[in-house]
Amino acid sequence: MIDFPILIFSAFALVLLAAGVGVITARNPVHAALFLVLAFFTGSGLWLMLEAEFLAIALVLVYVGAVMVLFLFVVMMLNIDLDRLREGFWKHLPLGAGVALLMVAEMLLVVTSKQFSTLGSSLPPSPGNISNTRELGLVLYTDYVYPFELAAVILLVAIVAAIALTLRRRKDSKHLDPAWQVRVRASDRIRIVSMRSEKDQ
Amino acid sequence: MTFATPNLVPVYPEIFLLVALSAILIADLFVSETHRFLTYAYTQLALVGTAGFLVLGATGVPLTTFGGMFVDDPMARTLKLVAVLAVALMLAYSRSYNQQRGLFRGEFHVLILFALLGIMVMVSANHFLVLYLGLELLSLSMCALIALQRDSAQSTEAAMKYFVLAALASGLLLYGLSMLYGATGSLQMALVSNSILSGSADPAILVFGLVFVVAGLAFKLGVVPFHMWVPDVYEGAPTAVTLFVSTAPKIAAFAFFMRLLVGALGSLVSDWQSMLVIVSVLSMLVGNVTAIAQTNIKRMLAYSTISHMGFLLLGILSGSLGGYAAAMFYVVAYVLMSLGAFGVILLLGREGFEADQLDDFKGLNKRNPWVAFMMLLIMISMAGVPVSVGFFAKLSVLSAVLDAGMTWLVVVAVLMSLIGAFYYLRVIKLMYMDEPEDTTPIVAEADHRILIGLNALAILVLGILPQPLIDLCLASITQSMRG
Amino acid sequence: MSMHSLYLLVPLAPLAGSLLAGLFGRQLGRAGSHTVTILGVALSFLASLVIARDVFAGHLFNGPVYTWLSVEDITMSVGFLIDPLTVTMMLVVTFVSLMVHIYTIGYMEEDPGYQRFFSYISLFTFSMLMLVMANNFLQLFFGWEAVGLVSYLLIGFWYTRPTAIYANLKAFLVNRVGDLGFLLGIGLILAHFGSLDYATVFERAPLVAHDTIELVSGSPVSLMTVVCILLFIGAMGKSAQMPLHVWLPDSMEGPTPISALIHAATMVTAGIFMVSRMSPLFELSETARSVVLVIGASTALFMAFLGIIQNDIKRVVAYSTLSQLGYMTVALGASAYPVAIFHLGTHAFFKALLFLGAGSVIHAMHHEQDMRNMGGLRKYMPITYVTALIGSLALSGIPPFAGFFSKDAIIEAVQASSLPGAGYATFAVMAGVFVTAFYSFRMLFMTFHGKPRMDEHTREHLHESPWVITLPLILLAIPSVVAGYMAIDPMVMGNYFGNAITVLPGNGGLHVLREEWHGVGAFMAHGVTALPFWLAIAGIACAAAFYLKWTGVPDIFMARLRGLYTLLDNKYYFDRFNEIVFAGGAREVGTGLWRVGDMRLIDGVMVNGSANLVGRLSARLRRVQTGYIYHYAFIMIFGVFILMSLWFVKA
Repeated sequence: MIDFPILIFSAFALVLLAAGVGVITARNPVHAALFLVLAFFTGSGLWLMLEAEFLAIALVLVYVGAVMVLFLFVVMMLNIDLDRLREGFWKHLPLGAGVALLMVAEMLLVVTSKQFSTLGSSLPPSPGNISNTRELGLVLYTDYVYPFELAAVILLVAIVAAIALTLRRRKDSKHLDPAWQVRVRASDRIRIVSMRSEKDQ
Repeated sequence: MTFATPNLVPVYPEIFLLVALSAILIADLFVSETHRFLTYAYTQLALVGTAGFLVLGATGVPLTTFGGMFVDDPMARTLKLVAVLAVALMLAYSRSYNQQRGLFRGEFHVLILFALLGIMVMVSANHFLVLYLGLELLSLSMCALIALQRDSAQSTEAAMKYFVLAALASGLLLYGLSMLYGATGSLQMALVSNSILSGSADPAILVFGLVFVVAGLAFKLGVVPFHMWVPDVYEGAPTAVTLFVSTAPKIAAFAFFMRLLVGALGSLVSDWQSMLVIVSVLSMLVGNVTAIAQTNIKRMLAYSTISHMGFLLLGILSGSLGGYAAAMFYVVAYVLMSLGAFGVILLLGREGFEADQLDDFKGLNKRNPWVAFMMLLIMISMAGVPVSVGFFAKLSVLSAVLDAGMTWLVVVAVLMSLIGAFYYLRVIKLMYMDEPEDTTPIVAEADHRILIGLNALAILVLGILPQPLIDLCLASITQSMRG
Repeated sequence: MSMHSLYLLVPLAPLAGSLLAGLFGRQLGRAGSHTVTILGVALSFLASLVIARDVFAGHLFNGPVYTWLSVEDITMSVGFLIDPLTVTMMLVVTFVSLMVHIYTIGYMEEDPGYQRFFSYISLFTFSMLMLVMANNFLQLFFGWEAVGLVSYLLIGFWYTRPTAIYANLKAFLVNRVGDLGFLLGIGLILAHFGSLDYATVFERAPLVAHDTIELVSGSPVSLMTVVCILLFIGAMGKSAQMPLHVWLPDSMEGPTPISALIHAATMVTAGIFMVSRMSPLFELSETARSVVLVIGASTALFMAFLGIIQNDIKRVVAYSTLSQLGYMTVALGASAYPVAIFHLGTHAFFKALLFLGAGSVIHAMHHEQDMRNMGGLRKYMPITYVTALIGSLALSGIPPFAGFFSKDAIIEAVQASSLPGAGYATFAVMAGVFVTAFYSFRMLFMTFHGKPRMDEHTREHLHESPWVITLPLILLAIPSVVAGYMAIDPMVMGNYFGNAITVLPGNGGLHVLREEWHGVGAFMAHGVTALPFWLAIAGIACAAAFYLKWTGVPDIFMARLRGLYTLLDNKYYFDRFNEIVFAGGAREVGTGLWRVGDMRLIDGVMVNGSANLVGRLSARLRRVQTGYIYHYAFIMIFGVFILMSLWFVKA
């Protein structure tokens, strides 16, 4: 009889892997993005199983709710030609797949080694009524205030960088400055010139 | 629960820098285009202030704060001071270049200060999380700086490449760090080190994680085979940014190696040593040999950087305090030389013209003997000819490797530096033995000329009197690494 | 003025002159530049004289002047070792340099790079003095590299000539091979003696005389032998011994004063000086001395042969220099260090004289160097002729000229040596005497005797050179006559060098030489009856016969011995060998040492665009940089894979 949590885990893990493969193989970029959403969902499911509720929720809220939606907008607006990106896929596949397989083999050797598998069994049982979110909240602004502030600075850099790279005044802009408009004087608009009158022909 | 306010005194330089740069960010809004010089002046003032805090607050003993996440030791102080100096010089060299190319903007200065802050955070990091955040702060600012010249397709491409590859490298690094966390149960360097020493951590997982950590570190340093971004970024970025990329971040990368490999994983030295040997030999080979085929001097210097970083690794992989001090000496010397070399390139450029081809150096001696002589000093130092600081840098790392008993590695390194001497000497030959193709008079601001002179003379003087710097590096390392 | 500051003055005066002329040449003007540099060198020469008197009064000096840096227990400092050996070299260097400075005023008068030239030769004098005055290996190495650098700059002085550029690259790269050996030798010394100071190293040398090291694991070799051979490789590069001699003939592309100063009298003797200085080490390794002996003897004989077929007047002198350097090396191999230095000194005078004489001819002939277009110059240039005659007699070893004494002493020392290869060396130096006499008089006869063969225009303008050129000739001619006669007794036979040179009892010819010594007169009388003298006379006679009387004979020989002539004309195919073997990238042939020679291939790519190993590799590596981001990412992943596999291999 298979343990129920293991069943759930296997289901999530399989879907996660399948979604990952889907992201890179889907022909349509929108599908690829949706596969990514699916991957995030299953990932957050795995976190829930580890009793990391806050992280699971944050993943869904931030990545699925905000980042991916934005991403989908961009993908739909830009009309990316995926076929061009996939050029040479078959040419490079043998070498890439070869190295990938070797990597996987090596990683498997490590992961399946005896020491590695004993690691999980020694996890202490978690006490019952503890709130993940509360504990995070307690340390985030105290013990971890330094990394927290650094993260804030990184966000500030992101804002500055985004503005510096995108904002610029177009040369052909029709923008008008209201202050100048209000301060306008007649002499700015009309120039009165005196001309000698000419005789009619 | 109880929480004690952390001791903020050791963090004053960082705090000051952050406050100052925020102030500049706001002040810049109110500075009109014609008075942009003010932003530059404020930035330099902020650097002077940071340097002041660094010098005055130095205690000479290692201190930690923020629950051990931040460490302030003599090595950190020295490296930060060098980084601040490098940024100040870099800003001075690039002032007129930026003015001519529309880069003389508030964002440029603020992003440079952000990057400097990232460097300082990395240098003082004593916790994997902080180290990573510092790294991202630096990478993100650098990426924005590289792309700052929006209209240049080359810059955008370079920034794109850097961004994607840096993300990949960060991924590798994080993967490795998570393995280490899994094996030791801590993110704090000291605790990780203790856990490994006590033997409670599984060696297989540790080394598995180590592989990825070394890969992530190697990317930052730009060594083979994680170097591919270096030439493209050096060439694609505006020269002012290239100057920055080639100097201060290398200091951070050095600190990165010291904190992670020596500080946290010091007891795994035999494992990372062999990895670094491969990376270092490949870097010296690929860097020096490929540099010969370059016609663009920025690209040539990029490959030269790769080979220099290979040399730097020699000092670290020797695994002794003397070796670490030699590597520190090397990084300081390298920063000085790189500043000078790009400073000269910036000086030769003018509106609508980048002096980035080797041919632009033809007959420089006839056009301006003083600048040619400065470049000569820089080139012989890069080649490692005696009586220049570059010679001592090479000598000290090589003697560290010799002490570690790897004679064959010394022979390889000497051979590589002989090959390397060729392309540096070619620049000298172009300057002194060829006829100039371009006879436009060279105009440069007085401060730029004087600083370049001081920079090149520093290379010479430190070649004649290297003792103080050697002592400083040795003292910094011994006081920091035995704490 | 204390002696201490006088020591400092010797190298610093030329340095000051060089800096003034180099940095402020434009402001000083031509006359100003040559005045300051000549003043600097003259001051240095005078100070050397005072120091020499002091040294022979028994005041030696060995100590640091200023400490450069100290890392852990290794101290690197600038220090002077003032003893008879040093002082001899100082006198030779400053005197020849002074002569060359004066001569240059006349020779280079029309050259646009006048100030630059003076700056370089003063800089060279400074570097050379630092080299000979050093009391530690680091400073020796500094001087070694610095003289190499200046020589490189000066060979390429006329940088608009492609041949000059080729020659200076060649000199630079070949010297790198030698320097690598030298550097490895110094490294070994540092590793095994723990010091770079001469005195300390020499003191400890006997203690490690029987130590061995394993270059290839399992087969131990004597440490001293390895150290000495590595150091000698350095000497081979600088003193142009076979097979690292290829750069010296090409270096004649530089202006003639340089050929005289650097490539005849001073820099090329640095190797000889270094080996003499290291005599306490070389004395401990018979194998190393045997290598020195054989290489020296080969150079002495084979390079002399090449002198016979050259038509360029400077090249004749250049090959003669190679051959004479071979003689000095032979003396070193036979443990007759004082004799080597003695020959170094006499050779410096008469070879500088011959070079400057050749320069005077070239100057008069409007930079024509081919002897076939000369002839009969005796009438037009009597002073040059007489001095050249003195130089040739000295070179041929005719008593009582200087060369006779030093060369005879070398031959006798070799005869007395019992090292492996001594028999070959004796034959080589004996045969060399004949060949030397032949080519030097061939040169003299072709240039100054016979019918004038130059065109009308040149002949009309022929005249004796100005006094700035002839004065150095005369001043150099005097020691070329008397130096040998005066110096042999104290320098070789007496205890002139004191403790500066070590010769272990039972090692070679010097002791025999001293036992048989009965004064200068007896030496000369003995010399006139001995074989070498008659070989020299025979050489001169043959030259006279072929080039004065039966001038058709050489052509007949050339036609009959075509194969031999081709071999000589191609300089034993050394250059071809280098080009083919290295350019072909034949790894099997190249030993580690030679592979450094690959460096010359790089210049092939850059200068000629021809394909070669490093160049191709470079181009290929460059192509790896495709610009595609997925290639880059793939290479990174592949790197991780390699690192991980490495760990698996280790585990």
